[in-house]
Amino acid sequence: MIIGLAHYLAVAAILFTIGVFGIFVNRKNIIVILMSIELILLAVNINLVAFSAYLGNVTGQIFAMFVLTVAAAEAAVGLAILVTFFRNRGDISVDDASMMKG
Amino acid sequence: MALQAIAFYVMAAVTVIAGFCVVSARNPVHSVLWLILTFFSAAGLFVLMGAEFLAMLLVVVYVGAVAVLFLFVVMMLDVDFAALRQGFAQYMPLGLLIAVFLAAEMVLVASTVATKGAAAHNDTPMASGFGMDAPNAEAIGRVLYTDYVYFFQASGLVLLVAMIGAIVLTLRHKPGVRRQVVMDQVLRSPKTGMKIANPKPGEGIGE
Amino acid sequence: MISADLAHAYPELILAIGALALLVAGAFAPKQTTLVGGGAVVLLLVAAFAAATQPLGVAFSGALVTDAAAAFSKVAIYLASAVAIPLGQPWFERRGVKTFEFPVLIVLAALGMGMMASSGDLISLYVGVELHSLALYVLAAMHRDNAKASEAGLKYFVLGALSSGLLLYGSSLIYGFAGSTLYSDIAVAAGQQANTGLLFGLIFVICGLAFKVSAAPFHMWTPDVYEGAPTPVVAFFAAAPKLAAMVLFARVLGDAFPAAAGQWQQVLVVIALASVAVGAFAGLVQSNLKRLWAYSSIANVGYAVLGLASGTSEGVQAMLMFMVLYMIDVTGFFACLTALSRQGRSMETIEDMAGLIKERPALALAMTVFALSALGLPPFSGFWAKFYVFKAALDAGLWGPAVIGLVGSVVAAFYYLRLIKAMWFDSSAGATDRPPVEAKTVAVGLALFAFPLVLVALTWLDPAVAKAAHAFGLA
Repeated sequence: MIIGLAHYLAVAAILFTIGVFGIFVNRKNIIVILMSIELILLAVNINLVAFSAYLGNVTGQIFAMFVLTVAAAEAAVGLAILVTFFRNRGDISVDDASMMKG
Repeated sequence: MALQAIAFYVMAAVTVIAGFCVVSARNPVHSVLWLILTFFSAAGLFVLMGAEFLAMLLVVVYVGAVAVLFLFVVMMLDVDFAALRQGFAQYMPLGLLIAVFLAAEMVLVASTVATKGAAAHNDTPMASGFGMDAPNAEAIGRVLYTDYVYFFQASGLVLLVAMIGAIVLTLRHKPGVRRQVVMDQVLRSPKTGMKIANPKPGEGIGE
Repeated sequence: MISADLAHAYPELILAIGALALLVAGAFAPKQTTLVGGGAVVLLLVAAFAAATQPLGVAFSGALVTDAAAAFSKVAIYLASAVAIPLGQPWFERRGVKTFEFPVLIVLAALGMGMMASSGDLISLYVGVELHSLALYVLAAMHRDNAKASEAGLKYFVLGALSSGLLLYGSSLIYGFAGSTLYSDIAVAAGQQANTGLLFGLIFVICGLAFKVSAAPFHMWTPDVYEGAPTPVVAFFAAAPKLAAMVLFARVLGDAFPAAAGQWQQVLVVIALASVAVGAFAGLVQSNLKRLWAYSSIANVGYAVLGLASGTSEGVQAMLMFMVLYMIDVTGFFACLTALSRQGRSMETIEDMAGLIKERPALALAMTVFALSALGLPPFSGFWAKFYVFKAALDAGLWGPAVIGLVGSVVAAFYYLRLIKAMWFDSSAGATDRPPVEAKTVAVGLALFAFPLVLVALTWLDPAVAKAAHAFGLA
């Protein structure tokens, strides 16, 4: 059985869906939401590398590298905002005691 | 070829299962650990595709930096995580149903790739090392600083923004802590730093 | 070759190097925040000049497109960002947040928005989007001892990151099916055969961009974030980033997918009408002005998307004109809110504005102008904005959507008039504090533009926008 492009894309698609699912299911747990976002970006990276390998052009891998870089930056900013939020509220649940009406 | 297929299926299965555990684990510390496993097995998939450099990068950047950052924050924030689980069971069935449909559709689209689009014009089998002479890292290095220098610089600025942002949001100077003032130290001259006193015997300087 | 490329990137270079210099200056003299702020304003003005005079063409193998549209939108973006600094910095300093990073982040956000407006490649799209969004997330949460601001920052971050994820997933599919990340190559691939995979990717990208411009049904974050974030920051991110994202929208659709116009037009019409409807009806029940204006901005983005949905060069022209005039409106309105406070508490509800005309006639008049303009009453700027959009939509044969858009604008008129009535005819709710001079100047200046000056400005805006619109790949 030869492993082709479609196999990798399928893994990426499932991982992407898990990430989106994680965001909607863990509405209150911001930390898990941030991890779900990382899963989405990982899915994108698998997609990009798979296409890059298949097409025999390196652009996809370069794109994936930038996605990695930016994702790391995004995680840092997200966690920094989370820490300020926690300092103000002593809690990280967003929906519960929302000061703003939804 | 069979070995490769086995490796793919094992790593793909681990990636997907660990990914699911990330979003469904009860304890966020476990979530982070599952996340690390997901990244490791995804790195294995990258190696299978011939992208060794990115695989290494994934392990270094994600496992080494991002996941540890997550772990750090999870442990630093003293949160009652059991309370955060409320609503999980409530959203779970519908969410799972929608997710399965979404995943099925996306896999379907993925499977059309081989027959349609630019990918179809290329018959290179997977994991052929990109059909290039240069090794993976060299192939990336050749274009990263030439053709893609614009993005390279721009992503440097993205990291700068993240750095500024993290510092602005979280750095707090405690009042009462004496800090080093470099400018004051550098601008110190013999005139300001030294005082010539001529005390009389038995009196001392008497500040 | 590299020097020729750099000549096209002068605005970006000026901003990047300038931001670094300001950061170093700020690190050595952290007390001199006004100086850093002033430096940032000068930097943005110089960059705007460089953008207006730079050579047209493409650089970095197509990643950076400097055509008439890029030049036009960059000038608008940089000027709007320059206004945000004098508006925001004193506001933060009055609240004890004395940081030199505020202007630096605005400069870096402006740089990212410029990259978006002149992107010719999916990678520059993504990096530009992230550069400006990360700066905006931090700006929204920058009033860090305020629980509402950090909640707003968190919500903005989570939904923004989700939208970036959608955008990226779409980009990866487009790359895979077209074999390239360059818009020009994608256009060729999309023109060759009707391709499900490419369209699937395009849908993801449209969803991601709709999030960024807060068009319905991806608008949920807007009211919460506008309400919680500091008012001058809202004045910034309700204006320039929206223009940048709309130009990016036009680039992806016009430069990369002109062949699929039939398909994306339908999607955009649905998004536009949903936004207009949500903005008009949900705005009716709001009493907080920041939330109200968030719904107003959702409706207004709907009109801009409607212009784009025409799928013609005229439609893009209408979109650009609409966004520029809308930027002036929304910045001005939030500048009024920044200026107003009562006993140190900011005035944010319609009841707070009761009888304002007797208390603060200049600001009340300015707010009246902005409300009438947002309502679309001739001869205020908002009327001309909508005029262009409806004309483009009718010329493209979108009769139904144009009529629904008009109905939405009549419904929305109700809440603008409610605000005007409160200001002019209700009895006063007490004395207000003396407005800070910089916010008042910005508000009154923009109000003067929204009414008499716009008639003069249109004579040169019109040809400039038309020239910019022709740079896109739409007929």
